[in-house]
Parts: sequence; C-alpha cells; structure tokens
Amino acid sequence: MSDSFKIAVSSTALSALKSRIESATFPDELDDAGWAYGVPLADMKRLVARWRDGFDWRQEEQKLNNELPQFTRDIEVDGFGSLNVHYVYKKSDTGAGIPLLFVHGWPGSFLESRKIIPLLTKGSGDSQCPVFDVVAISLPGFGFSEAPKKKGFSLSQYVEVSHKLMIALGYTEYVTQGGDFGSRVTAEIARRYGGTHSKAWHTNVLFSLPPENDDPSIYTASEKEGLARWQEFQRSGSGYFQLHSTKPQTLGYSLADSPVGLLAWIYEKLVSWSDNYPWTDDEVLTWVSIYWFSRAGPAASIRFYYEVAHSGQALGTKSSPPTIPMGCSLFPKELIRIPKSWYPGVGDVVFEAEHDKGGHFAAHEQPELLVGDLRKMFGKGGPVYGVVTGRDGYN
Amino acid sequence: MSSYKIYIPPTTLSTLKSRLENAVFPDELDDSGWAYGAPLADIKRLVARWRDGFDWRHEEQKLNAELPQFTRDIEVDGFGTLNIHYVHKKSEGGLGIPLLFVHGWPGSFLESRKIILLLTAGSGDARLPVFDVVALSLPGFGFSEGPNKTGFSFTQYAEVSHKLMLALGYTEYVTQGGDWGASITKEIARRYGGEHSKAWHINLILAGSPETQDPSSYTAFEAIEKDGLARFQEYKRSGNGYYRIQATKPQTLGYSLADSPVGLLAWIYEKLVIWTDAYPWTDDEVLTWVSIYWFSRAGPAASLRIYYEVEHAGQEVGSTNFHIPTIPLGFSHFPKELGRIPKAWYHLIGNVVFEVEHDSGGHFAAHEKPELLVGDLQKMFGKSGPAFGVVLGRNGYDG
Repeated sequence: MSDSFKIAVSSTALSALKSRIESATFPDELDDAGWAYGVPLADMKRLVARWRDGFDWRQEEQKLNNELPQFTRDIEVDGFGSLNVHYVYKKSDTGAGIPLLFVHGWPGSFLESRKIIPLLTKGSGDSQCPVFDVVAISLPGFGFSEAPKKKGFSLSQYVEVSHKLMIALGYTEYVTQGGDFGSRVTAEIARRYGGTHSKAWHTNVLFSLPPENDDPSIYTASEKEGLARWQEFQRSGSGYFQLHSTKPQTLGYSLADSPVGLLAWIYEKLVSWSDNYPWTDDEVLTWVSIYWFSRAGPAASIRFYYEVAHSGQALGTKSSPPTIPMGCSLFPKELIRIPKSWYPGVGDVVFEAEHDKGGHFAAHEQPELLVGDLRKMFGKGGPVYGVVTGRDGYN
Repeated sequence: MSSYKIYIPPTTLSTLKSRLENAVFPDELDDSGWAYGAPLADIKRLVARWRDGFDWRHEEQKLNAELPQFTRDIEVDGFGTLNIHYVHKKSEGGLGIPLLFVHGWPGSFLESRKIILLLTAGSGDARLPVFDVVALSLPGFGFSEGPNKTGFSFTQYAEVSHKLMLALGYTEYVTQGGDWGASITKEIARRYGGEHSKAWHINLILAGSPETQDPSSYTAFEAIEKDGLARFQEYKRSGNGYYRIQATKPQTLGYSLADSPVGLLAWIYEKLVIWTDAYPWTDDEVLTWVSIYWFSRAGPAASLRIYYEVEHAGQEVGSTNFHIPTIPLGFSHFPKELGRIPKAWYHLIGNVVFEVEHDSGGHFAAHEKPELLVGDLQKMFGKSGPAFGVVLGRNGYDG
C-alpha cells in the first residue's frame, strides 16, 4: 500500500549542510580558463555563498510538497528484496487520463516532472487536447527512494520496479516518457512489457547502432553535425561517464563529503547540457539539494552506470528494438543525434518532432514543447490515439 | 636559492582535523570489495587514523631530516617565474652522476625518499657508481608553485626541469622517470638530449597508440608482450576513468579534491593500491603521501591540470611521437605496471641500450622496489654498463 509522502529534511541535516558549506575550501583557477577546464570558480563561489546564506530550502521544500503529490510504497524486486520507492502521482483533472510514467536520468530526478505535470494533467482548456495521469518515479538510489544494497541492480531491475509501480497503481496499460537513463529504462520497458502493458513510448534521446548497410553519404548536414557533436561529447564530455562506469565508489567519497564538490559535479552538466537555459541560483541549488538530501546519498545515484556497463547492457550493445509504437522529440542541444537511417534500430517511430531550441533536460527547459509533442502524439488525430484501453485522455 | 624545510602551520593542521571530524561517508554495496573503487572499511580506517593517531609533525620532521630540500625561482618562457621546490642530495664519495628524478601523478618528490640514500651513498662496493640526486616537485605539485596560465605542458615541465639542473651547475645530467616523469624526461631527452641530457631511464614504457597498430601483428609478440598490451587495454577499458575526467574537466573535479580530504584520500589511495604489486602500505605511509597533496602549495586541484594540458597539446600518453630522442635509454620492466609495449615498438620511444625484467613490482617502482630500481641504474651507468661515463667528468667513481 502507498503512504503519502512529504519531503521533510531534518533541521539537523540542514544545519550540518550549512556548517559544511561555511567551512568550504576552494581551489584556485587558471587565468582565463572560462568553462574549458570545468565549472568556473566565480560561478561556484557565488552559488556556494547563496547556498550558505540566502537559499531557503524549507521554502523550496514547501513549494515542492504543494505542487507535487508524493507517495512511497514498497516494491519487491527479484533478488533484491523490497525497496521503498518514492514517486509523484497526479491524476488528470478531468477525463480518463492516459497513464504516463515519466522516468528521469542522471543528474536528474523526479523534480524534472515539475513543470510538465500541470500541463499534462490539466490539459489546455481545449477539449481537443488529451490529459494524462502522471507518475514520476524516483529511481532506486535517487531522490527519496531507497537504494538497492546488493550488486547487480541494473537495467532489468530499474525496468521491473518501474513497471511494478504502474501495476500497483492500477494501470495495467500505460505509456512512458524518458530522457537520459530514463530513455534506456523506458526502451527496455517497451521491450519487455510492450504490447501487454506498455503501449507506446516517447523519448527525447534516441540511440541505436547504425544498420548493417549504413550509407553515410546520404546523411543530411544536420545529421552529420549531430554525429560530430556526439563524437565531441565522447572525446571531451564523457569523463564523468567513464568514471561512474568504473569507480563510482571512489568518486562517491567526494560527493558524499563535499556539498561543494557535488554542486560542481552536477552544475557543470546543468549548464553544458542545456540550451542556454537561464538557470537561477535557487533553481540549481534546489536541484542539487535533492541529491545532497537524497535518501540513499549522492554516491548511490552513480552506481547504475557501473551496473549497466557490467551487465552486458552498455550503450551500443546489440539488441532487438521494441515493437510498440514510439515517438521522439528532437532538441538541438541534446548530447546525441542519430541519422534517420538508424531509427529502425531504436524502434517503430510513428511520431517525430524537431525543435529549434532546447537541450538535454527537455522537460525542464522546454516543458510546453515537450508536452505539446505528447499531446499531438497521443491526442485525437495522433498516431497512437486511444492506445491505452478505456483511457484515451478525454471525457 | 633557499634552503627549505616543510612546515605546515598549526592552523592548517587543526583545520584538517576539524574537517576529518566532520567527515560524511557514503554507504557501500554488500560484498563489493574493490570492484567499485576504494572499499569503505579502508577509507574509514584511514580517516580515523588521520584524525586521531597520525602525527604529521613527526612525519614532517623525518622528511626534513632525510631529504635536504630547497626552493629556487625558475623562469619559464611565457609563464614568468615559478618558485620550484626540490630535493638535492650529493653523493657521499666520488663524482656523483647528476641524476634528475621526475615524479608523476599521484606521486611526488616523496618517491625519491628510498632511492636517494642508495643512489648517493652507494653500497660500499667500489664497483658501483654513485649519483648526485635532484628530485623536483613539478610545478603544481608538492611545494612548488603552480603556473597561473593555461597551456603549461610537456615543453614547460621539461624546460623547468632542465633549467633547474643547469642552475645547480649540472650542464650534463641523466634522468629517471615514471608516470608523467617518463614523458617529461622523454621531452627533456628530445629537447636537451646530447648537449645536456646524456641518457635517460624510465619504468613506464608506453608509446604509439595500440589501436593504430594492425592487431593481426600481435600474434608475433611474445607472451610477456601480449600480456603487457592486454594490461594496457584493460587499463583503458576499466581503469582510466580518472584520466578521462582529469584530462577534460579537472576544475570540476578539483572542487571535490580541494574541499574534501576524505575525497582526496580515496582518489589517491585507490591508485596506491591497485597500481602496486601487493605493496604492504602502512596507514601512516598512505597518509603521509596524501598529506603532501592536501598540504601542497598549489592545492590538490592544480596537480590534475597536467592531464588536460597534455591532452590539449596532442601529447596524451601513448600518442604517436615525432622526433625520437637518440641518447641512450634504459628500461626497467615491473610486472604490475599499467602496461608495456612490445620490443618491436621500442624505436618509437628511443634508443634502448639497457633493459631489465623484474618479477615483482608495479607502477611506483622507486617506492615499491628501491633496491631493484637503484640496482638497474647502477648497472646501466656503472663501469661495465652501456651508459658508463656519459656525463663528462662525473662517472660516479672516485677520480
């Protein structure tokens, strides 16, 4: 059974954090380094000063609790026992909301559902537009969910816990939306539970291997540019990925002991992966605080990289694509963009929208665009209208 | 030039103690061992020792007593003057061969500690040469200043090292290096070889880029060579996460290492254990090593930048090199080094005149196997060795 949940970070935790920040020690910085070597010192000092003195976690906490109805429930995962899972759950205001599971990645969280939830559940006042029941899970090891204690909690297990949550909420059929690691989880949900349970999936990051008879000479300029961006990311932006995938515990000591270190580690991605998104300091600090105050601690959140790499499911491993319908939203500053000729390796793309702004954290950066895409994909006249029996998003 | 004694102010020591007292630890997966990184029990034990029993003053005093240290200003083109910390010990008898020892990461001048006595004192055996040893703290490490500007790479590390030797009156010298020290001494050999650097010895033997070599040629290699290549491939697959982050976002990582002594300890300790050959580290040994980083003049974040600078100058470890140095080169192979290249690729590094295989020892050879490493240097530079008498007037023997 589920328990209602309100985020309530203890005052001891708050004062311990304040005390740690007060004793922060900063490195120096090379002249004119800009962003080339990582997060600039001026940004860090400014953010840390705000975290120490002005940022009001209690207020942010209250806002979150007011906006997002949260719950916890125990979910059994084969071989791992019972995990207490935290999630946001908001039903549509009217009508038979299409059950939508939203799955975050790293360094994301349930927080990424904050802006899209009102749009998805309320609709637009336009009766032509479908509404959704939204479930935004905190993946085990993130947010306020428990983390597994044993080794080997990999893609299969994230899939299992997500699926079981939807079933437990009474949604035998549902659809999914995911970015970053959430894209991998929802793709795997589509593979394992597609047809019977997962009826359609939507993602904002596509990845597959090139097809057998791939012909690079037919790539468009924008496809070539996308592949070049991916290569550049691998060359200069994927150090975190390599480290998380091999020595997450060693890094974990730093992230657990230093809020400044954790802030830098996450903030760098918030800026470099988004499309000139105008982060406010409090927005960044709220985001990072979720990690600092997370139930399992920040070190737990990076273990999935290791598990996935060691369970034969690393990105790029050959696997057959899911067969249920899928949609994608392409944002220009996403980390990877594959040529259209590779799409069959991803899945059965029945909906595609391309945007001229937005980056990796699409739900946070461009909530209206993302929701607009979901409404088109699932709405009347859309390619997967009515895909969930008895819940088409309309009265 | 100034005489130098390490002295960490009491406020710095108490700040560290206070940080350790407030340490926050992550959890750990059951039975994870070393697979995910440094184990929690190890780090907790080390932190408790660092907080309560470890006596930095005592270690500091020992270091100052054992290692005669100095600082001097060295001008580096485009970077102004850097104040360089170094150890300098002359041979006890005879005309010591001037030997520059260059460390790497996460090493330091501390790695010269065991070999310095053996090299300078000799063994009492008149057949063995003695050395004058200079062990510098590379800029950004130990008690040397770090550069303020971007772009300080192999050229600059070589320049500051060479100028130090000249400043000490050694117009001709030889070098020994591991980790970054191998690449830096290679740069010294390229730029100053012949006229100044007369011979060089390294214990990290990597060159070329294995991926660019035709894998079908691998079958011709001997077992030990195949094993060395495989070890390096494995290192790139599972052991170079630290390298990739340090080579691309050193500043981002630097915030953690500057703010958390626990984080810094884990970051370095992991390498001290997995890169050595079952070396029996004592806790105080580890803590002394890591303290050098914590108390370093430039701070721990500065020490990471060499990876970024090298990567962006197109000089990363294993990359194809031009202008191979011609001066005599010696290798010492230790089995637990990160990898090695086949004999067929040696010409990519230099003119190999001396080579020794060992059956024990790893990456930190000078610290793990000081007698073996020194023995190799004594053979290479001794009377019947291939590099005997390379330095004019200083052949390591009396008269």
